[in-house]
Amino acid sequence: MSISMALFSPPISSSLQNPNLILPKISLSLLSTKRFSLLSRASSENGTSTPDSAAVSATTVEIPKPVEDVPVKPPVESSSDETDLPTTTTEIKFQDAKWVDGTWDLKQFEKQGKTDWDSVIVAEAKRRKWLEDNPETTTNDEPVLFDTSIIPWWAWMKRYHLPEAELLNGRAAMIGFFMAYFVDSLTGVGLVDQMGNFFCKTLLFVAVAGVLFIRKNEDLDKLKGLIEETTLYDKQWQAAWKEPESSSTVSSKK
Amino acid sequence: MATFALKSFTGLRHSSTDHTTLLSHAPSSLSRSQRRTSLKVTASRASPKLSNRNLRVAVIGGGPAGGAAAETLAQGGIETILIERKMDNCKPCGGAIPLCMVGEFNLPLDIIDRRVTKMKMISPSNIAVDIGRTLKEHEYIGMVRREVLDQYLRERAEKSGATVINGLFLKMDLPEDWDSPYVLHYTEYDGKTGATGQKKTMEVDAVIGADGANSRVAKSIGAGDYDYAIAFQERIRIPDDKMTYYEDLAEMYVGDDVSPDFYGWVFPKCDHVAVGTGTVTHKGDIKKFQLATRNRAKDKILGGKIIRVEAHPIPEHPRPRRLSKRVALVGDAAGYVTKCSGEGIYFAAKSGRMCAEAIVEGSQNGKKMIDESDLRKYLEKWDKTYLPTYRVLDVLQKVFYRSNPAREAFVEMCGDEYVQKMTFDSYLYKRVAPGSPLEDLKLAVNTIGSVFRANALRREIEKLNV
Repeated sequence: MSISMALFSPPISSSLQNPNLILPKISLSLLSTKRFSLLSRASSENGTSTPDSAAVSATTVEIPKPVEDVPVKPPVESSSDETDLPTTTTEIKFQDAKWVDGTWDLKQFEKQGKTDWDSVIVAEAKRRKWLEDNPETTTNDEPVLFDTSIIPWWAWMKRYHLPEAELLNGRAAMIGFFMAYFVDSLTGVGLVDQMGNFFCKTLLFVAVAGVLFIRKNEDLDKLKGLIEETTLYDKQWQAAWKEPESSSTVSSKK
Repeated sequence: MATFALKSFTGLRHSSTDHTTLLSHAPSSLSRSQRRTSLKVTASRASPKLSNRNLRVAVIGGGPAGGAAAETLAQGGIETILIERKMDNCKPCGGAIPLCMVGEFNLPLDIIDRRVTKMKMISPSNIAVDIGRTLKEHEYIGMVRREVLDQYLRERAEKSGATVINGLFLKMDLPEDWDSPYVLHYTEYDGKTGATGQKKTMEVDAVIGADGANSRVAKSIGAGDYDYAIAFQERIRIPDDKMTYYEDLAEMYVGDDVSPDFYGWVFPKCDHVAVGTGTVTHKGDIKKFQLATRNRAKDKILGGKIIRVEAHPIPEHPRPRRLSKRVALVGDAAGYVTKCSGEGIYFAAKSGRMCAEAIVEGSQNGKKMIDESDLRKYLEKWDKTYLPTYRVLDVLQKVFYRSNPAREAFVEMCGDEYVQKMTFDSYLYKRVAPGSPLEDLKLAVNTIGSVFRANALRREIEKLNV
């Protein structure tokens, strides 16, 4: 975390030694990235297609380096029929020492002889974040070939699934223990006997489902919306059949 | 059912021996399921034979739906009038038709400008996947110019016996009872452009509304509204060396910058490319999305000139009422555009044809008056044949167009050969061929894996934001 903080901050190396400045630095880095993204969005919003010339000063560390470019003046978009598109390709691009030929060079991620998949994942996330904030043109000369499936499944599991599984299991265990104690104190039925009871089994099922599907407060509303969403299209199609028969002929219809 | 028919039969003005023989049959012969087109078809039990004239049907709108409907009606012996407001209309359109349309509608190969055999799907992080390796030699997606296709279908309808009128449909008087005619009010232009035209009226027995997304026929019958997307497109003429890249290749860009709920595209046309995007939920930002699409394709359309800017609404789902008494809607007017891909031309033409076939069958080649039950048969057949396709595409759109991680997973999935084969099979031939269960299982596992990885990366991105 501290490394990424340093990467995103302006190059004031002296302040790196002062831990008190770390907090304001986070907000600084936030500001700088936000400003950058705002600028890029603003430039795409006005009618011209000026390449984004607002470059963050290049840092000395190897991170996504915005390349400072000569802003090219595009021809004025007239209201006549023919409008010219810019004829030069200079543009801010995603660049990184480890990003070679449209994919991550895994050899550069090695730690103690083995590829450090975690850093590959983080690097790819940074690249995607960069591109989300500064959408780039695709080009045939440098196609992007990276496929996330080269990162082995256990790396993903270790990084994302296991921590969450630990969290959910912990929640389920706490709920389970407390509910078992509570039911026991109220009814005197011990844990083993509770397992044989249908009502208790239902409660257990509800508790497990609740822990799995409702992880944040927003999930409740999301689930309700989901049910609506899945049936909406069907309802729109069936609407033609729901209309009251309006024909004036005397005949029975399906 | 038989007693009903008998009762109304006594009220008919014309009786013929045909009718009595029909009714003396067992009532089961009146049930729809036993209808056979080769034998004498029992139409709606109560309709009379039309004396000394054929059934008159007006088709409003001369696009693929209208042209196909008019041709089938005219071939079935029905007096057909096709009303189109602009004979040389270049409807803003992607212009892609599946392979089966060429066969089913006997289209000559020279109206197809280009055969697209390769597609590129580009994810929000510019990961590009090539699609089309599984296509066979004779398979392609046809790119047509709408003005050429529409004109061809109208001419064919005219050759089959339909009357084509250049006019603008204004409104329609609904009939009082079951066999009164519809009175259409329209302005006839008589081929002169720019002139105000003559106001005319026409009486017809039935109407097929094929007048597109802003259908006036739909308004006249109170068909209800639908959600629609705005599709915005710029036609760009690019230098020849860049055009060779798009010789037989179309591109699809997905991403929040390009569209929040649809995709941006670069489709090759006859001598230029069409770059466009669409959206349902953020219609006000369409220009921003278009700029983003152009930006993503920037290197490949460098030095191009915009020759035309166009936009059009695309329906997202069918209207609540697709028919009313003797008026039926087809094509875009009914809302038959698929989700996810936004395909409409084939379904328009097919629905026009299906509706016309139902009218021909229900009226016994124009000899009898039809009523709503005959048109309902067209709706039934349509829903039965194509509702699964629409449902699948809706699910795909809901799952894969919701967010950038979902789109990344979508593009990753499209790299899989099995997915490509299934997708093209269902698109080109409009049939869902059963794949092998083992491959389906592998596909399911891979999909879950892709979605999981993409969402995991999204969580990582969110961590970086903090």
